[in-house]
Amino acid sequence: MEINNSEQGGVKIVTLSGEVDLSTSPQVRDALLSCILEGSAVAVDLSQVAYIDSSGVASLVEAFQNAKSRGQGFALANVGETPLRVLQLARLDQVFVIHDTVDDAVQAIG
Amino acid sequence: MSDQLDLLAQMGRDFAASHDIEATMARALARIAHLVGAEGGALFLLDNDGENLVCHASHGPVDIMGLSVGADQGIVGRSVVGNVSEMVRDVSLDESFQNSLDQQSGFTTKSILCAPMVACGAEDELERIGAIELVNKTDDQGLFDDNDLKFLEVLTASAGLAIHNARMAGQLAEKEVMRRELERAAEIQRGLLPPPGNGDFPVSGVNRPARVVSGDFFDHFVLYDDRVAFTLADVSGKGMNAALLMAKSASLFRCLGKEDLRPGRLLQHINAEICETSMHGMFVTMVAGVYDPATGRVVLANAGHEPPLLHKPDGEFIALGAGAPPVGIPIELTGGGPVPEEVLHLDGGCLYIFTDGVTEGYVSGKKELGVDGLQSMIENSLREGLSGPERIERVAELLDQSDEPLRDDVTILVIDDAQNARARIGKVPASTVDDTMSDKPIVGSLCKLSLPARAQSLILVRRAVEASAGLSGFSKEQTQDMVLAVDEACQNVVRHAYEGELDGDMVIEIRREKGDYRILIRDFAPPVDESKIKPRDLDDVRPGGLGIHFIREVMDAMDYLPPPDGQGNLLRLKKALPSN
Repeated sequence: MEINNSEQGGVKIVTLSGEVDLSTSPQVRDALLSCILEGSAVAVDLSQVAYIDSSGVASLVEAFQNAKSRGQGFALANVGETPLRVLQLARLDQVFVIHDTVDDAVQAIG
Repeated sequence: MSDQLDLLAQMGRDFAASHDIEATMARALARIAHLVGAEGGALFLLDNDGENLVCHASHGPVDIMGLSVGADQGIVGRSVVGNVSEMVRDVSLDESFQNSLDQQSGFTTKSILCAPMVACGAEDELERIGAIELVNKTDDQGLFDDNDLKFLEVLTASAGLAIHNARMAGQLAEKEVMRRELERAAEIQRGLLPPPGNGDFPVSGVNRPARVVSGDFFDHFVLYDDRVAFTLADVSGKGMNAALLMAKSASLFRCLGKEDLRPGRLLQHINAEICETSMHGMFVTMVAGVYDPATGRVVLANAGHEPPLLHKPDGEFIALGAGAPPVGIPIELTGGGPVPEEVLHLDGGCLYIFTDGVTEGYVSGKKELGVDGLQSMIENSLREGLSGPERIERVAELLDQSDEPLRDDVTILVIDDAQNARARIGKVPASTVDDTMSDKPIVGSLCKLSLPARAQSLILVRRAVEASAGLSGFSKEQTQDMVLAVDEACQNVVRHAYEGELDGDMVIEIRREKGDYRILIRDFAPPVDESKIKPRDLDDVRPGGLGIHFIREVMDAMDYLPPPDGQGNLLRLKKALPSN
């Protein structure tokens, strides 16, 4: 699984590619938390995520809560069918801020 | 005369009281020396090889205990070899006498007597035991005469008899110890075999050893899904050797059989193991198989064994030949591949597996039972309404009771599908098509993965589930859901089962049966403590409630089953196959 960082409109874009599971979700957690610690809003691009499990979801939740407690923005973008299904099973699809594209997300939380 | 009898009686009593033959001989020698009137003496015994005469008792001023001379050397040697008494009345007149011992000891030998000890052996042959030598008559001149020699002769004969008796007693005691040990071994062996059934259980066996211990064995046990694994084997040879190889092969079958290997592979593994530590060219003819009571289907592999008999419900007997050489033949000669398997459908019939001790066993006189005789007995017993165990018991009994001792171990195993076939009537009929040949959907195990229980293994599990779910006709969405559910279930094992130790394994098996797609997840960690879990509530052992929630949302059922052998945990996830 690869993690790419970029920036757009003052928002940190974290792009995940591949499969987020028990072996790779710790990296996701660390990447997201370090971005949030730097003080920016974070948008997670899930367009390249082929698979995500409960541990991956837990990393997203932790980052989301962290950002929220600091008053920073946190959104998910490009959530494909597979990750969306998992979020739905977890009943978190209504909890996260989800946008269709990265641009939309940046506009909303930047 | 009375002195002889006295001496014999005294030595007998001495030995009976002490079982110390050395002390008995020392006392006897002293007595003899006193009776004859000699200053000194020695008692020599032939050693085990018959090469040397060793002094076991010494009397008088010079102690030569332990002295060893060649069996034909000196006066004592001559006496033993020729079985004749010898006398050197006056050594000063004998040129050939060597006084080297006198020079060393300071004792002056004047006169010597020697008489041999013999006994009558098992087949009336003469057994040379040794000799008694006396020196220096205890009178003024110190010289022996013919009367002294005759006296020594008869006393020595008595002593020889007493020593022989003592040795016989010792040998008898040793034999008794060995006999008892052999009986204990036989008891242990009997414990390795399952007890005969009562007719309710479809698999039952009987064993009658030809000697105390047996080289045949049979075994059967139930697998986790109610199928019954069974085996029957015949070790080459008889006695302790065969019994030891029997115990090893029986243990290997039990151990490897519980891993649910197919019979052909199981025999291949046992073969590899036996060949690796081969015991002097011994081998085992062996049949291994699995019977499914739910379908009456048997998968059978036969390594060099007497052909089992299939008794079909219409009465026909079919002999099932061996597909491979016996177990234990060096792999360089056989190639060591898996033993070919045969699939049978009992359909209410029976399978009889037996050793050649049965068909070659004597019925009366030297008349062999033969395959025909065995078949007749089976038919007659069936007509009389005897159960499976009763039928094979009758055959064993007939062979055991004949006037001839058992020619070879008698061992028979029966797999009787009659009862289960009746129970199946009205239910979905068993498939009569050989699974490996048809293109119908596969029933049974699709795959079995054994992996280290760590996070890196999960992607392998996901791939296997994805591929097999696709093969089973599930949609893309259903497949993805199940991939997630199985991943979460395995995470439980990875996170918790081995408590931080990275060395545990987990076994994931994917099966299709009874209309379900089933995933079995097995670990070998300490069992989940049931007392800490509320019935069907797994919250206490969840990694994060989310994982268990996913599983429950996606799968039809999630149960902890009793694990095979009571080791570890076995979790089963089920989802009904799509109907199409």
